[in-house]
Amino acid sequence: MHYQRCLILGLGNPLRGDDGVGPRVVAELLRRGLPDGVAAVDGGTGGLDLLHLLEGWERAVIVDAAELGRKPGEFLRFTPEEAHLVGSLASLSSHNAGLADALALARALGKTLPDIVIYGVQPERMDWEEGLSPALEAVLPQIVTAILEEIV
Amino acid sequence: MTTLNVNVHYVTRVEGHGNIIVDVKNGEVKECRFEVVEAPRFFEAFVRGRPYHDINHIVSRICGICSVGHSTTSVRATEKALGVELSEQAWLLRKLLFHGEILDSHVLHTYYLVAPDFLGVHSVIPLVETHREVVERALRMKKLAGDLCAMIAGRHTHPCALVVGGFTYTPKERELREMRERLVAARADMDATVDLFASLPWPQFERETEYVSLRKEDEYAFIDGVVVTSDGFQYPIEDYKKVTNEYLVPISTAKWTKHNRESYMVGALARFNNNYEQLHPKAKEAAAKFGMKPIVHNPFLNTAAQVVEMVHSLEDSIRIIDELLARGVREEKPAPVTVRAGEGVGACEVPRGILFHHYVYDERGICVEANCIIPTNQNLANLNADIRALVPQILDRPQEEVRLLLEMLVRAYDPCISCSTHFLTVEFV
Repeated sequence: MHYQRCLILGLGNPLRGDDGVGPRVVAELLRRGLPDGVAAVDGGTGGLDLLHLLEGWERAVIVDAAELGRKPGEFLRFTPEEAHLVGSLASLSSHNAGLADALALARALGKTLPDIVIYGVQPERMDWEEGLSPALEAVLPQIVTAILEEIV
Repeated sequence: MTTLNVNVHYVTRVEGHGNIIVDVKNGEVKECRFEVVEAPRFFEAFVRGRPYHDINHIVSRICGICSVGHSTTSVRATEKALGVELSEQAWLLRKLLFHGEILDSHVLHTYYLVAPDFLGVHSVIPLVETHREVVERALRMKKLAGDLCAMIAGRHTHPCALVVGGFTYTPKERELREMRERLVAARADMDATVDLFASLPWPQFERETEYVSLRKEDEYAFIDGVVVTSDGFQYPIEDYKKVTNEYLVPISTAKWTKHNRESYMVGALARFNNNYEQLHPKAKEAAAKFGMKPIVHNPFLNTAAQVVEMVHSLEDSIRIIDELLARGVREEKPAPVTVRAGEGVGACEVPRGILFHHYVYDERGICVEANCIIPTNQNLANLNADIRALVPQILDRPQEEVRLLLEMLVRAYDPCISCSTHFLTVEFV
């Protein structure tokens, strides 16, 4: 299926090592240039605001560090329906909401969301530091290529 | 005899978690504390060695919710260190942007985190079933607040147009007029918000403490001013360490703070108590609906004070836009910066309370020393004191009720305990 309007959304915090893989992929895509109708956005640690970000797009490709139980740098492509994304809204702080919670809320409200595909990347370390670990740095071009093939 | 054991272990995906531990045997409180094992303690490592113009962009990443707060505090510290003066228009835009973040964060906290406790559900998602209109309203208000931030600074989570000396972008008069219309229309949602939260059964609990906030002569202080306390002390921002007096405690890797008493409180309730007179008249009307007049000693009502502040920020946003339009909006570049050696402290009332950034620059404008004290850490000692005072009062209640009340108390402070990573936890089905 060909989509007229596609959003590529990179999630994570560049100050937390490999958690920054999403924003890093976005920066790489912007550097290479994107076709008309495609936008790449650094969503940071957007929480429930992701709901508003996703509105109005036909398709969304989301890149995020993910606990997949795999080796660092391995990445998987999946849809929200194929995976159980663990939310954390019912907690002691409003700082914990993330993609899983935003999608669950959208579903509960019956909102029309874009067709979503997620690229989950297994992180190695998420300490307070800038920059990706060598394993993720090495796999970066493959992720970028896969996403570019996804959107044409 | 009461034997009660409450353990609310809340462990996030990485370090950074808060636990409540209460152990009561034979009617005696053995252990009762709120632990936090995180602070932005690598703050200095990130900014040391970086040029002055990079720093606010880096620190905006510390927290996805308080990105404008960290950025604004950061640029104020740098502007003071380098002697940069802002234009009147830039000041108005800074204040308007800050209202956007106060609204954004307070909607998130009041509606998404606190309201479910009172409406009998565990999170905002089942709330859709029972109180759909409440969730829809929250979403509308959240979107409006995010759009207000975006109009001035770019995306709320990345306030990229906010820089040392002002802004790299000036909103158009058309944008301001449209935003004004939306803010005026949002008064209906705001009224409904006040009515909803004023109708909730707020837990009865009082404990006297010291309230610390900024204060300004001519307005309800969010950016700059002097540091004041409800015990009658006042300090210039540069003397912030005389207020915070950080110290280490065995149960927490985060430093605690104290001033005139064993602890002090920062946040919306502290601002309300110290600066009530400067609230917008409509915000005072809202406070009356909660039966609130300073000094309020019930920490659960920090959330109510946030609702009052939302009214203030909405009304003051409209006033600021009117002032901008009356003056006429000029395309402006940031004020020029002359690089020099210097030292500066920035202080803002971010949604969770007073935040300090302190930088030292060398003659090349490179940061050589930095310090950051976040509101959550300043509240830790106070929250623990509240827990110790509350537990003996509720010991006779069922364990589940005790647990819920303690959770609600922690949530009233909305501690920033894991604002830093956001990776997905995935279980394949």
